[in-house]
Amino acid sequence: MASIEILILILVASSIVSYFLTKFNSFAGSVLTIFSTMFVFVSLAYYGFNDALVTTVNLLPGFTFEFTYLGAYFAIIVAFVYSMVSFFHPYFVDHYKYKNAYNMLFLLSLAGVLGAFFTDSFLQLFFFFELIVWTTMFLIPLGKSKSAAVSYFGFSAAGSFAMLFGILVMFREVGSFDITAGLASLSGTNAVLVFVSFLIAGFAKLGVFPLHIWLPIAHGNAPHPFSPVLSGALVKLGAFVAVLALIRISPASTVITAISLPYAHYIIALLGAVSIVFGTLMAIREDDAKKLLAYSSMSHGGYIIVAFSLLDSVAFAGGFYHILAHALASAGAFMAIAAVARQTGTTKMSEMGGIIHKMPITYIVYLVAIISMAGIPPMGGFISKWLIFQAVIDKGLIFIAIAVFFGSIGSFLYVFRPLAALFLGQEFPQFKKIKEAPILMLIPMIIITLLNIYTGVLPNGILGFINKIIIELGFAPLIINSPALTISGNNGLLFPALIAGVFGFGVVVAFVIFILLKKSRQVGLMDTYTAANFIHTEELLHYSVDFYAPLERLYEKYTTKMTDFYDGLANKVKELGKLAKYLFMSKYVEVAIFWIVAILAFLLWGEL
Amino acid sequence: MLLNILIGLGVAFFGFVLQTSIGGINRKIVGRLQKRYGPKWYQEFLDIFKLLSKRATSHGWIFDFGVIMALGGIIATAMFMPITNNIVAFAGYDNFFIFVYLIAVGMLGMAMSASGSGNPFASIGVMRALTTMLAYEVPFMIIVLTIIKLTGFSSLTEIGLFQQASGNNWFLIALPLGGIVGILSLMGMLGKKPFETYIAPAEIASGPMVEYGGKQLGMLFIMHEITVFIEVSLFVHLFLGGAENIFIFLIKYFLTYTTLNLISNVNGRLKIDQVVKFYYKWPLLMAVTQAIIAIYFGWVI
Repeated sequence: MASIEILILILVASSIVSYFLTKFNSFAGSVLTIFSTMFVFVSLAYYGFNDALVTTVNLLPGFTFEFTYLGAYFAIIVAFVYSMVSFFHPYFVDHYKYKNAYNMLFLLSLAGVLGAFFTDSFLQLFFFFELIVWTTMFLIPLGKSKSAAVSYFGFSAAGSFAMLFGILVMFREVGSFDITAGLASLSGTNAVLVFVSFLIAGFAKLGVFPLHIWLPIAHGNAPHPFSPVLSGALVKLGAFVAVLALIRISPASTVITAISLPYAHYIIALLGAVSIVFGTLMAIREDDAKKLLAYSSMSHGGYIIVAFSLLDSVAFAGGFYHILAHALASAGAFMAIAAVARQTGTTKMSEMGGIIHKMPITYIVYLVAIISMAGIPPMGGFISKWLIFQAVIDKGLIFIAIAVFFGSIGSFLYVFRPLAALFLGQEFPQFKKIKEAPILMLIPMIIITLLNIYTGVLPNGILGFINKIIIELGFAPLIINSPALTISGNNGLLFPALIAGVFGFGVVVAFVIFILLKKSRQVGLMDTYTAANFIHTEELLHYSVDFYAPLERLYEKYTTKMTDFYDGLANKVKELGKLAKYLFMSKYVEVAIFWIVAILAFLLWGEL
Repeated sequence: MLLNILIGLGVAFFGFVLQTSIGGINRKIVGRLQKRYGPKWYQEFLDIFKLLSKRATSHGWIFDFGVIMALGGIIATAMFMPITNNIVAFAGYDNFFIFVYLIAVGMLGMAMSASGSGNPFASIGVMRALTTMLAYEVPFMIIVLTIIKLTGFSSLTEIGLFQQASGNNWFLIALPLGGIVGILSLMGMLGKKPFETYIAPAEIASGPMVEYGGKQLGMLFIMHEITVFIEVSLFVHLFLGGAENIFIFLIKYFLTYTTLNLISNVNGRLKIDQVVKFYYKWPLLMAVTQAIIAIYFGWVI
């Protein structure tokens, strides 16, 4: 029996213990972090799948918890990413200025996540959201840049306060903070207000267009082991809020008959589509591997928004599965990049090449992760994208389909770039001495790789759990045939295990052909065709800078539009602040006299 | 199950033999067009077997592993391909998306292997191939969306049967704009001129293929022939009404491939950014127009 309250208390207690333990011995503190996150994940997964989580509260007065499949699904994914990433801590915390705070805040933010997903009241949800934001805000500046935290906090705070506004509007009409009952009984303008403010919160947390600016800044500059948590786990909070808004609230809105979708949901889907295209285009031209993956998170956030705004159970199943598939894929990719960054000291793709010869296992981890990210079988991303495509086609959403397909093909382009520039190509002399990542770092990466494959080959068990969520939300479940391992979409059957099996068979056939033929002679990488030029430096034979230059040239002048807009907005806010400062806190005499006259006039208003 | 796998392997082998022969015949046809004799029709077989028997150089394990993954992925994709209404290895599972995405595994393997060779020309070729893919795939997918929406099936056999049913035209005729988009996209997929930017022998030394020789090159040739088979068959099933029997399939296949080859031979080569601009201008516009007309207004010939 595991009680949510006890799990949260364990995390809070171990965060305090790890603070002092890390001070004395950073390795011991990190091991404590590994054990407590692993304990929380295992108990959540075991009892969550068996519906045996206890929600009674004895020790935390004022808090109430509730078990929902929706919350449990998110909590299990997030706790899994946390527990996997914690394996990186022994190798990274020593590099940070406040290493004891790192472990403590990490555990505290997981406590916040658990609370947020299992609470039944909006006020507590807001409290836990703020707990997460405040803990992670101090984690991010431990990485490369302090200003990254400002941007993260700015957007998160905007999201949180939009949500608080929505909560209060709801409270005014309904009179309670209950999550399920409260949202369902909203009506009229209030429903629209709450819908919009919740979606602002969801978009800000998920990093979807137009509230995406913080995503590459925060992901790119966060400490290396924290980027997988940000992208794989924490942005999913936004998806949680968006699900609540899109499915539980029904704002008054005309239904577009041609596509049988309300206007409000169609507009949200369009924003998701813009996010997919924008994220893809920006990722294609990014040079920093972590920022590239951050933009890919933005594009995948768009997929999740599109899926949940289609109001169709196949799309919902796709959306929920995409949350899992993207969490695994992006955690795997970010962790591989973190391992490379630890061994080489950089994440810039133009500075690296040929790492594969020294770090083959990390390469395989990255390869499997990006295959899943690009939605290619036999990995998990294919299943979710297939389900989303089914729903998009079934509804006949042409313009959203353009974005969805563009993002899907575009993801081949951007995920291939780190593969080619960082791992493949010429081996640079300065990286000839590096070693494979330590074994403790490889363990979680290998587990994630195996899960990436498992989710693509045998998705039915997880889809069964997702069906419980869909029924809980009041929709018809997805049709899956568990003994036959098939999934029925709107216009066809999918048999993932067969695809994986046939692919494996094809590879075996090709391998047999390969092995039967004459053995090749091994030559070095510099021994290549150079059109009769004599080139002796590896850098000159490595094509990695501006990889997609001809494509980038077509759109590069539009890429700064959004940052310009936010810069302009920031300037306007600064000007407003200056005006306020001039009026209320100025040292000029004329302003003081103006205020004295104004106040006197106000006081004497009725007398004269 | 074993029988299905054997049928699938047979389909893949059939595709290889068919495309290699038709490719040879086409070399002859093009030769005659240019007032040459052209090679014998089985010249491509000779090339491949010669390459397979030669001893080659290798640039490390990823160079070899990529080739295996490429050929394996493409064989696996071909195993799902229906030839006629009845000859299909895994009936009911010949889903359109499998072809688009499983073929990508093979492409990824080849790209990985090419980049792993350490030759910048190879990386440039891969970059161009992926960029071209981004260009032609989106208009094509929009048209396929229209077809799936109209038929209600994503299985290729079912789409073929839908077109064979009385009262329905081939989608090449039923969706005329879409048919044009399909042809243009197919030319991009096959890397035919003017969209052969990523091979560009005189410019980047055959692009991805630059470092290969011997058995690796031979296997990539086999892979290329099967890829062409998959792509042309996809067109036959989606736009030309599938095939009732194998002779109809052969005729449709031969005519499709030869027509494209002839069109390609009177064209020059576009630059890579021109390719992208082209596909996102006319084919995408036509595809969207066709989709709107067919789905929202229901006007299908």
